[in-house]
Amino acid sequence: MAKSVLVVDDSASVRQVVGIALKSAGYDVIEASDGKDALGKLNGQKVHLIISDVNMPNMDGITFVKEVKKLASYKFTPIIMLTTESQESKKLEGQAAGAKAWVVKPFQPAQMLAAVSKLILP
Amino acid sequence: MSINLDQAQQTFIVEAREQLQAMEESLLQLESDPGDDDAIGAIFRAAHTIKGSAGLFGLEPIVSFTHIVEDVLDRLRNGSVEVDAGLIAVLLKSSDHMLELINVVANQGAKLAPPALAREMELCQILQEYQTPSPVQAPKAAEASDPQAPAETRLWHIVLRFGPEVFRNGMDPLSFLRYLQTLGEIIHITTLTDAMPSAETWDAESCYLGFDIEFSSAAGHGAINEVFDFVREDCQIQIVAIDDPVPPMNTGLVATFQEQDDPNTAMVTTGQLMPDQRSAARMPAQVTPDKQPATSDGKAKDGAYVRVNADKLDELINLVGELVIASAGASLLARHCNDDSLQESTSTVSGLVEEILDGALRLRMIPIGETFNRFRRVVRDVSQELGKDIDLIISGAETELDKTVVEKIGDPLMHLLRNAMDHGIETAEARLAAGKPAKGHLHLNAYHDSGSIVLEIADDGAGLNRDRILEKAQERGLVAPGASPSDQEIYNLIFEPGFSTAQAVTNLSGRGVGMDVVKRNITLLRGTVDLDSQPGQGTVVRIRLPLTLAIINGFLVGIGQSTYVIPLDMVQECIELSEDDGVCSREQGYLDLRGEVLPLVYLRDHFNHEGPASRRQNVVVVRYAELKAGLVVDDLLGEFQTVIKPLGKLFGALRGISGSTILGSGAVALILDVPALLTQIAQTDNRYTTPPLQQATVR
Amino acid sequence: MPLLYETQDDTAQVQIDGELTIYTAADLAAQWLPRLGATPRMALDLSQITEMDGAGLQLLLMVQREAPKAGTRLEITGQSKAVTETLALCNLVV
Repeated sequence: MAKSVLVVDDSASVRQVVGIALKSAGYDVIEASDGKDALGKLNGQKVHLIISDVNMPNMDGITFVKEVKKLASYKFTPIIMLTTESQESKKLEGQAAGAKAWVVKPFQPAQMLAAVSKLILP
Repeated sequence: MSINLDQAQQTFIVEAREQLQAMEESLLQLESDPGDDDAIGAIFRAAHTIKGSAGLFGLEPIVSFTHIVEDVLDRLRNGSVEVDAGLIAVLLKSSDHMLELINVVANQGAKLAPPALAREMELCQILQEYQTPSPVQAPKAAEASDPQAPAETRLWHIVLRFGPEVFRNGMDPLSFLRYLQTLGEIIHITTLTDAMPSAETWDAESCYLGFDIEFSSAAGHGAINEVFDFVREDCQIQIVAIDDPVPPMNTGLVATFQEQDDPNTAMVTTGQLMPDQRSAARMPAQVTPDKQPATSDGKAKDGAYVRVNADKLDELINLVGELVIASAGASLLARHCNDDSLQESTSTVSGLVEEILDGALRLRMIPIGETFNRFRRVVRDVSQELGKDIDLIISGAETELDKTVVEKIGDPLMHLLRNAMDHGIETAEARLAAGKPAKGHLHLNAYHDSGSIVLEIADDGAGLNRDRILEKAQERGLVAPGASPSDQEIYNLIFEPGFSTAQAVTNLSGRGVGMDVVKRNITLLRGTVDLDSQPGQGTVVRIRLPLTLAIINGFLVGIGQSTYVIPLDMVQECIELSEDDGVCSREQGYLDLRGEVLPLVYLRDHFNHEGPASRRQNVVVVRYAELKAGLVVDDLLGEFQTVIKPLGKLFGALRGISGSTILGSGAVALILDVPALLTQIAQTDNRYTTPPLQQATVR
Repeated sequence: MPLLYETQDDTAQVQIDGELTIYTAADLAAQWLPRLGATPRMALDLSQITEMDGAGLQLLLMVQREAPKAGTRLEITGQSKAVTETLALCNLVV
């Protein structure tokens, strides 16, 4: 059974690329365009990993992570935060909220795959 | 792994264009309200998203440029950089450049053309002024799974003690072990449960696991270390190359952990570079020593600004102009009515209208400083390019002039500045040889003078080569053989079309715009340019511009039934010319004005008015720049504020007329182009200079 | 009910159905650990485990440590691929 990854980013191209990379490596991918959208997608289906951007409209990444941590079925799901080298504080904020993994933007698909693979193999 | 990202890239292109549009809008918003944090956030997000996405597609040119922009924006966001006009300008240009990058690099898959690359360099250099003094950390491309030393496989000893929070943090120790296997081979692993407490305190969701691993891998220390990045926080991790001297504590590798050292410190033993040390500086560290605070820095930050469309402002000024005329008409009528109270009220209205006019015009006045400051960078860059040491001194930055003028003067100024740096200021060696300091100086100055603004570009270079210019001018037939023009005239020949003194056209001033174009642009602004040079001392170029293009304070004069307007700023005085004096002066074409030779222009003749001149004529002494003349007219009709209506193309060839206006009475009055008239006289004048002058004397 | 518990003679039959992970570890532990010592023998059927992570492994190791203390002998009667793979990764034999 393929592991499923929820990709949350307001940039369609980021979702698309991450999606393509992960699918090619054998993961199932669920996409969401912001925190709110993502919470809606966490409706009982199994999600093994969440990748979330920080800067998003409607519900930003930090708030989203905090919400996820309140959900019994998802609170132990590893979360990769998409940060930038200039956003050290956001990274720390994300970690405090419970997103202990991160990938620094801009990243190559291979870098994303490496980060994901550390947390779950397909 | 080969992934086809073509379709995603199309998504990216569309998305990036939208982001740039949003970025531009927010930048404009920020310009009008420098304290708008939402706008800053939106701008940052746009650049951030574009950079992030571009990185996914390996669009390195977009990433690297956007990275610099983003870095500046981040500093803006955290308050280490403040909004000023220069920043907005460079960010706007950067967003244009990013659009070009998207179009060229992402859409066409091509490389930037050299001019665009040059632009990028320029932008980078300007942006750098806003960046941290130390070079920013470059994005670490492909840092993960990047074995620095693929060299030999070696044996590693890895000690892992996972902290209690690991599970709750969503991390599975086993995942890291599995991932570790992708980097090499786990020769031996011991799973340790010593840390598990007694059943009473044991918690299923707390992690007590530990592992000791013998790991054979060709990956470097850095790469192995990176595997555990996400759990480093509350775990103990040691990675030691076994063939290196092993720290003593590793001999008794069991659960209890005596050493409290930061696990991160134990990693240098193998001599591998840590990732942080690898990251190279992106740009040469150019800490700007000459970074002077922009003159406009202090202002424009209060946020008490409203952004108004320039067109609306123009419209307003136009309307106010009409109002001025209408009000003048009303005053005229009131005077005819002999109604005191009516006259009084119209005069109050006129006063207010004038104030409104002033106010409206002031709305469009901006300090020249912003334009000047733009050149700091240029001077810096160009002097570097030329290998010359040149200092730019700016004065009079607070001098205000009409926005419409400011906008159009940038290019001519730029050209003059480049010319001065390129041809004016000598190389350091030449300067030293000439007994001058090695450092060259450029002086940009602005001041108000008789209703004009004067912009001076002065250099302390070698000055113009008078003989060479003359020689060349004669070659081209610009100067009649045998004529002996003054130095001043010779110097100003370089403004003639197609004239260039450059021995070799360098890439700097050989930009397709010659001095003739500079002059033409300035003339179009109703301005003049002249040049003064001292051999070995330097050159001064003076540009004289009207403060505004819309309205002039005029002095009305009459010739027969016609009315002319002389810009009041240029009127020095008025003299009555008696009939006798008139005849005398007429023969000479000169008037002795308190011992000064004053050439006369008979406007009646000049504009071919028929009919006899009135017996009593008047002389309006006008001055423009260094030129002075007397305009002979019939009547002096007084001051009049007026809106300039440009002449149609039909009248374009008319010399001496710069525009028209409508009088309160509804009649049309022509506005005299005093600079043109004076230049004309000066030229005629020269023909007379050869024989000594016979001067007419008044009284 | 992920933990199936049946007693036959002196042997407790324990079967774990589904995940043995951080999401189930606490529940399973609460049902499982108190029953150690209730029977002299406990037969573990791990063949129905679909997924196992470090927390699951840790629970298993806990059971293994605590059972003898409580006087119960453990015996594995079956293990799924997920279990086998995890135990092999950690060089463990249960």
